[in-house]
Amino acid sequence: MDKDIDIVIIGSGAGGGACASALAPLVAQGLKVAVLEWGPEFRDAEFTGRELEMAERLYFDGGGVLTKDKSMTLAFCKAYGGSTVVYTGTTLPIAVDTVERWGVPGLQHGDLILRSRKYALQNNVHALEGHLINENNRLFERGCKRLGWCVEQFPLNLKGCQGSGLCNLGCPNAAKQGTHRVQLPAARRAGVEVVTRCRVSSIDVRTRRISARVEACDGVGLPSAWAPGEYRIRADAVIVAAGAVNSPAILLRSGLGAALPALGGYFTCHPALILAGVHGRKISNYHGHPKSFFCDEFAARKRFLLETCMYFPFTTAKNLAGFGQEHESMMADFSKLQMILALALDDALRDNRVSLGRDGEPIVDYRLTEATLFSLVESMRAAARVMFAAGAASVHAPAGRDFSIPRSTEISLDDLINARYFKQGKVSISAAHLMGGCRMGKDASDSVTDSWGQVHGFPWLFVADASLFPKCAEINPYLTIMAMADRVAEAVAARHSEIKKVNNLAYA
Amino acid sequence: MLQSVFLAAAETIVPACVALSGAHREALLRIPLHALRSRPVMMRRQLAILLWVIECSALPRWGSVFTRLDAAARDRHLRWFQDCPFELLRKGFWGLKVLVYMGYYGQPDLAARCGYAVTKSGNEMLHG
Repeated sequence: MDKDIDIVIIGSGAGGGACASALAPLVAQGLKVAVLEWGPEFRDAEFTGRELEMAERLYFDGGGVLTKDKSMTLAFCKAYGGSTVVYTGTTLPIAVDTVERWGVPGLQHGDLILRSRKYALQNNVHALEGHLINENNRLFERGCKRLGWCVEQFPLNLKGCQGSGLCNLGCPNAAKQGTHRVQLPAARRAGVEVVTRCRVSSIDVRTRRISARVEACDGVGLPSAWAPGEYRIRADAVIVAAGAVNSPAILLRSGLGAALPALGGYFTCHPALILAGVHGRKISNYHGHPKSFFCDEFAARKRFLLETCMYFPFTTAKNLAGFGQEHESMMADFSKLQMILALALDDALRDNRVSLGRDGEPIVDYRLTEATLFSLVESMRAAARVMFAAGAASVHAPAGRDFSIPRSTEISLDDLINARYFKQGKVSISAAHLMGGCRMGKDASDSVTDSWGQVHGFPWLFVADASLFPKCAEINPYLTIMAMADRVAEAVAARHSEIKKVNNLAYA
Repeated sequence: MLQSVFLAAAETIVPACVALSGAHREALLRIPLHALRSRPVMMRRQLAILLWVIECSALPRWGSVFTRLDAAARDRHLRWFQDCPFELLRKGFWGLKVLVYMGYYGQPDLAARCGYAVTKSGNEMLHG
């Protein structure tokens, strides 16, 4: 089936959703704007909070996409709203230092902050009231303060949070203000068509035709707006916002790898480890919002962040190193566990990249550098110190010498948590902040797009998601993705009539 | 044979598996099998090879195949895989552990035995 649409946005997450709402006013001018989303749109009642069921529904490979060497799992989502359905809603503006480090000509920190404010306002971003913060979070705050370390409360994009603690499985109370709650419904009201269950395979860059397939409804979620089948969609402008794995994959399948040698490269992801501390009493941990505080004391010096977190039983079990009686005993103490997420701020390397397998599916080839391993080891030591300072009786660090580090041995932490115990394959490393692959930059030799997200050499083709980041964001990235996408939408809107004219000439 | 090796490994990785009832035991196998169905065929083959290696490599080390070892020897045998010098085997064993944890803690009523009783209205539970 053939379709003709003026502006097509591929993906409906932070980037695609922001573009959809920013471009929605063009519909009133007679333009057709459509969002093509791979995943389905779920009904509110379908967010059940059951761990495996929701992981399978929402995440690629149930949240366990393996990197090529199988040393790390990547979590990203396909659904109406993309990964904004499953994040915890933590909303931070990007730091001026980070934008300076990115060094993209024409990209100003001030511009990103102005745009970030707009989306923070739309998403009802605010700090959680004190009485809604659980002990798992309070212990983190207390531990950091006792150590004299900087600790800050996360602003969150919530409306009517009831503290299910199920953010990463999709909020069952419709409280999290992801694009599926805010930008996409607004865009739809303005006339933007959102087509779910629609997987884009490639774009013919000569004819600007998108090849896509709409899947039939499998009983869960709403049916797509389009009938099941193969589609060829001609578009004047295309915005690829399918995320840091699938955006490079779409462009690679479209044959752009030769013209853009940086395509797929410079993938970063804030590799993360989970530490668990056991307290001598039950604490409120899985009730209430799971992520209220972060510590960036060591971001500049040792390149890591600490954040509060609380995961579900299976996710927790797989992230603890070890097995057998000691593992089972720690799991039995679930309601006494304090958890901290330690994230390394990883370097952007050309060889850490998304490429295509023989079947055309993306493969993420990512290797941990010595610097990242150093950051992870240091982050574990710091997280353990926070837990002990908060009163934990023992701490489990994934690269600890022993499964449990008792409080009495805290003085030897540097020996007990050490790089020599960091065995890849033994330690569960995961990442959910996937960035790079279509990095912004000056020219095609070392980047994929300009500072407005336009793909070098293709005035009608844009990218608008975390794949644009030339280096890691050093914070939870969604607000910056929205700000970047807002820039891209502005460029598309400004250039659309020009693009259409050029396209028509080329066509003629 | 591979199913019995998987179950023996599961009982070592999560000792509580030994006492599982029929339905829970069936789910312990069914859940990972379901997850593997959507993964590449190669991954299933690799798991089968790993289980075979776990079973047979116990013979020269302990004088018996893995499934016939007692609980303590099984534990020691699997610890070798967890820390072994070959990264490939460590990663394979990690994958096996993930499947076992998925089969066990992925069952909501078994997860509840850890004291995990999630509710949509978690804020109401924060202050006693």
